[in-house]
Amino acid sequence: MLETLIELAPEILKATGETLLMLAICLSAAVVIGGALGLLVFLTSRGQSLERFRAFNLIANGVINVVRSFPFIILLVAISPFTRVIAGTSIGPLAASVPLSIAAIFYFARLIEQTLRDLPRGVIEAAEAMGASPLQIIRHVLLVEARSGLVLAVTVLAVSFLSYSAVAGVVGGGGIGDLAIRYGYYRFQTDVMVITIVLLIILVQSVQFFGQWAARRVDKR
Amino acid sequence: MPKTPSSTPAIELRAVSRRFADPGGRTVGVHPTSLSVPQGEIHGIIGFSGAGKSTLLRLVNLLERPDAGEVIVHGNTLTRLSAAGLRQARHRIGMIFQHFNLLHNQTVADNVALPMRIAGADPARIRERVQVCLDFVGLAEKADVYPGRLSGGQKQRVAIARALAPEPHVLLADEPTSALDPRTTLDLLGVLADANRRFGVTILLVSHEMEVIRRLCHRVSVMEGGRIVEQLDIADGRIPEGSQLASWLSDFGAVGPAASPSPTTRPDEAAAPHHFALEAAHA
Ligand SMILES: Nc1ncnc2c1ncn2[C@@H]1O[C@H](COP(=O)(O)OP(=O)(O)OP(=O)(O)O)[C@@H](O)[C@H]1O
Ligand SMILES: [Mg+2]
Repeated sequence: MLETLIELAPEILKATGETLLMLAICLSAAVVIGGALGLLVFLTSRGQSLERFRAFNLIANGVINVVRSFPFIILLVAISPFTRVIAGTSIGPLAASVPLSIAAIFYFARLIEQTLRDLPRGVIEAAEAMGASPLQIIRHVLLVEARSGLVLAVTVLAVSFLSYSAVAGVVGGGGIGDLAIRYGYYRFQTDVMVITIVLLIILVQSVQFFGQWAARRVDKR
Repeated sequence: MPKTPSSTPAIELRAVSRRFADPGGRTVGVHPTSLSVPQGEIHGIIGFSGAGKSTLLRLVNLLERPDAGEVIVHGNTLTRLSAAGLRQARHRIGMIFQHFNLLHNQTVADNVALPMRIAGADPARIRERVQVCLDFVGLAEKADVYPGRLSGGQKQRVAIARALAPEPHVLLADEPTSALDPRTTLDLLGVLADANRRFGVTILLVSHEMEVIRRLCHRVSVMEGGRIVEQLDIADGRIPEGSQLASWLSDFGAVGPAASPSPTTRPDEAAAPHHFALEAAHA
């Protein structure tokens, strides 16, 4: 196993780099776009300050559900023409980042919307009574009061998409999953399989540990 | 902001109504109701649970939009304002709640600063007001503490400081002491009475506790079934005999000390008030 490890070290490093790249891209897209979408879906829901845009709420909810009902591997294949347009290719970590980002955006939107729903209505109402605009409510209330929940949402997202990015390896996405399949599965090199799994476990544990630590840090309740 | 002549009422509700369909299909809420509260008055709203007290209060800052009628606060017809105009007007209408509604992830000082930040006040002015208002409620030394570390009474003091920070014309209070014990209730009534005296802020307060109303309010509106059925002057702490309110109090065994208090009782006295929870009697 040690020999394999040393022999494959450059490959493993490259694969880890690719996995981290895919994660970085899809997490950023999810936090920025999915986060905004989640906020809007929440604010346009019944009883919230942008309730008058209920139509947006209904449509966005529908789209989120539709995208989230695709098994990831099907989404991957289904949007490959779109992926080629965006990334210029349909293989490699950059191409894999396109379906990963799309899945992550809608997944995170739902996570955020649900996290915000847990906030007590009264605090939002207090801000409305002070004359806060929807943007001010987002900035001064939602992002402040829900922040530990938001950190945990990002943690859940990162862990889920670490494993999704391994699936992307199947269709030539690169990364740790790709490594596991090429050596561990097709070439029956069990030791490589073990190494990659250990690597993924270490990544998941660190993400989870760091996420929970950060969530505790920002929680003053 | 133009100076309003003091003859302008602080709060004026003109035939406002707000109806809801309850699960049984009946309509409830507030019937067309009018109310005028002069500047500087502490006005109570009392009634049984479901009488429409909270709805009426929330109509004043349009947290509840009336189906019909007009809401005028300090001469400003809120019901005719744009969304931006209403936000502007709300900067000068403070509100406190039964469950305080503080931000738990912000310090006491940041909580008090919040309405002024929302109103876009400059930082130096905000610091000054936070200091003044925390001093006023006696919590200056808690400025950097998070609300989770405070008692209920202290939380409500922070909420009062927060409401007073932007120098509101009007303070709306929905059952502000109902989650607190009798002694803490007395302390807080003292703070509210002080705010009224020192800053001249008009207070509209909802409670179902007769003692709270009697100790604090100059006048009281009695609500039943979505209407104001009676308005009484209780500035001397006496409930006029023969009034609806007096008859409720006698029906529910609360005559005596509440209906005719000794003239010396004041909010700052340590004696615990009797709690004539009309709500409980109703159930
Ligand atoms: N948003 C709403 N949707 C539907 N019905 C409502 C709503 N708000 C209030 N109501 C109904 O309107 C009536 C008056 O409610 P309101 O909260 O004003 O009563 P209240 O006098 O404040 O009672 P309590 O002492 O229990 O707080 C009640 O029957 C209540 O169920
Ligand atoms: Mg109420």
